[in-house]
Amino acid sequence: MKLSLVRATAGIAACLVVAACTGGSPASSPDNSSQKGGSGPIKYLIETPEDAAALKALKKHIATFTQSSGIQVKVSTLPTDTMRTVLQTQLRSGEGPDVFSWGSGPGFGGALANAGLLYDLTDAYKKYHWNVYDWARQRVTFNGKTYGIPGETETVGLFYNKKIFNRLGIDQPASLDDLAAAAKKAKAAGLVPLAVSDKEGWEGGHLLSMALSSAVGPAGMKALLDGHKSWNSPKVTSSLALWDDYNKAGYLPNSPTSVDYDGATAMFYSGKAAMIPTGSWLVGEIDDNTNFPVGYIPFPAAHGPGVFAGGLGSGPFISANSNKKGEDLQFLNFLASPQHGRWTVENLHTIPPQPIDTHGLHVSPLFAKVLKDTAHLSQSGTGLGYNIDVLSTDVFNEAMFDGVQAVLTGQQSPEEVASKLQDASQQ
Amino acid sequence: VIYHGPEQPPTSAPAPSPAAAPAPRRSLRSSWRAIESDAPPVTRKAQARLGLLLTAPLVLMVTVFLLFPMLNAVYYVFVDFNGINPNPPWVGLSNFAELVQDSRVWAALKNNVIWIVIGTVSPLVIGLALALLVWGIRRGSVLYRVAFFLPYVLPQVAVGVVWGWIYEPSRGWLNKALEVLGLGGLTTGWLGNPSTALYAVLGTAVWASAGFVFVIFLSALRNVDLDLVDASRLDGANGGQRLRYVILPQIMPVFLMVTTITLLGGFSVFDIIFVMTGGGPAGATDVLGTYAYSRAFQLSQISYGTTLALVITVLAVPFAVWLNRLQRRLSLQGTGA
Repeated sequence: MKLSLVRATAGIAACLVVAACTGGSPASSPDNSSQKGGSGPIKYLIETPEDAAALKALKKHIATFTQSSGIQVKVSTLPTDTMRTVLQTQLRSGEGPDVFSWGSGPGFGGALANAGLLYDLTDAYKKYHWNVYDWARQRVTFNGKTYGIPGETETVGLFYNKKIFNRLGIDQPASLDDLAAAAKKAKAAGLVPLAVSDKEGWEGGHLLSMALSSAVGPAGMKALLDGHKSWNSPKVTSSLALWDDYNKAGYLPNSPTSVDYDGATAMFYSGKAAMIPTGSWLVGEIDDNTNFPVGYIPFPAAHGPGVFAGGLGSGPFISANSNKKGEDLQFLNFLASPQHGRWTVENLHTIPPQPIDTHGLHVSPLFAKVLKDTAHLSQSGTGLGYNIDVLSTDVFNEAMFDGVQAVLTGQQSPEEVASKLQDASQQ
Repeated sequence: VIYHGPEQPPTSAPAPSPAAAPAPRRSLRSSWRAIESDAPPVTRKAQARLGLLLTAPLVLMVTVFLLFPMLNAVYYVFVDFNGINPNPPWVGLSNFAELVQDSRVWAALKNNVIWIVIGTVSPLVIGLALALLVWGIRRGSVLYRVAFFLPYVLPQVAVGVVWGWIYEPSRGWLNKALEVLGLGGLTTGWLGNPSTALYAVLGTAVWASAGFVFVIFLSALRNVDLDLVDASRLDGANGGQRLRYVILPQIMPVFLMVTTITLLGGFSVFDIIFVMTGGGPAGATDVLGTYAYSRAFQLSQISYGTTLALVITVLAVPFAVWLNRLQRRLSLQGTGA
């Protein structure tokens, strides 16, 4: 008895150690799973929305899919940071979500695709004729296979308070000189010219993306991101130095690395800031929180109006380990439908990555303009710059986030940061 | 008890009497046999079975929750696990080699040292001072205890968020208070300025932990022999001397226990920094804990993060053992409250 107990305990411990050391392995092929569907609802995991009402509305909207298809969907949420740490483990264990919303870049969907954790949707695109913009589809395509549906299009640019601009006699900036002149006037009027925040760090990626996209253009950005051009180059350095100069000139809030994103948006909503450089995802909140007209333009280039930095927000992927792929695909077909696109425009104020008939939609003038501009630029395929962080690796993003903070706090020079970006791009 | 072990055959010369020479030192195994021989075989088996049954849950728990994670961590230190690859490549000691050459590790370690020194000394001094002040108070001492202890029981996340508002450069009341006092030149973005960020977070942590130290010291002071204090006063000892030579020796084990807790907290500090600055700006407030988290979970370098975590443990253990032994020694000497 004694011996058997000891052996049993030792056996359990050994099994645990071995199991821990080896870990589970993802399904080697999507065909391993049954296409007929497992029991229970589809587990759909999304990042926790900032607005609780948006989640409620989404669940209600998904209920219409359940009603028409008979397929149950259980929506669950996780904060983005938590999702980053647990998603891979969940997917590997086979206990994770069947469908989940996640970023599209190589550090996000790309990493999961390389690990064999995503279901290949290339055939599904042909079968269901999902009509997303080519550039958007390319960003969820890894090693020649398409793994996701782009969730939403985002552009990064400059919002400005038209009321303040009119009062101060400022025209819409069409170059960096114009922008500096506008900032100078706003500062003289006792306002914060540019409501820049960089406490969280990720805002720095957008600051660099918008300045650099306008400085080098879409082709130049592609060359940088593809590794054909060095990050340790004068244009990158000057784009970093631009924010350093604005900070020193007092065009940014006092200590922007102490200001969080909500603090910066509050400055703009309250009319204390003339401009805010951020992304199109803020349109809904601007509509809800401001009582003045707002304009949205690309961040200016040195000698011209510049280009928007474009990117994709999170979109749905199917887990390679899901045992309900048939239902999952039907659900994705619903999420990729023009009807769902119209619903997101009206209810979530997001921009679908596909042509949408906006006729009859109830949207604000600002959002209508953003939709129109984005659709035009997306269809032309050449007019959008790049939002760097959704296309880069985690290592590069950290170097970029830390680098912009370091420039703004004087810990490093723009040249040093550019050099570190180049090093990070090689890892 | 008659011992008949193989190393001491029964045919050898007569054993000296216990009074004449010390008893031979028995091995653990021989002692076990000796104990076993006291009971009939059936009872011995039942006792053994019961013993195993009673200890099995604890053995299992220790195995699952302590031994297994530790072995697992040691394994990950020698491979390059990215959180995805189920068969990570063996890299030997290269994680340690990278760690030694990583300048951010040394910067984080420096911050840890600052945290350990200030974060240990400040709560001890403040907590002791408060406890001494409240020691003699009879009315309203409960109110003081609750007021000072409250920050300690608040969730660190809530504390971090609220203090983040206080430190906010344009809306936070700290800068506003400084301006009202005519000290506008001192205003800054406390959490965004690399020169002040770590100390601003430390200030919050000290505020939160001083109450705990205060309550423990106050309890210890209640057991101090007041006759000794009175006697020293009659002998002409001033306040500082009474504290140094009469009070502190009596509460020394408690003092060391609190020191151990706060000091070890300095090695493993994570949550308050993560909430308030995330290690920024640009790593200015990174400590080993936040840096390990960043590498493990934000950059998916699980093995490197585990190596850092292991280093934190290795650094903390000698202090814990030393302080624990010191505390035990003082307790055995009878120096304590």
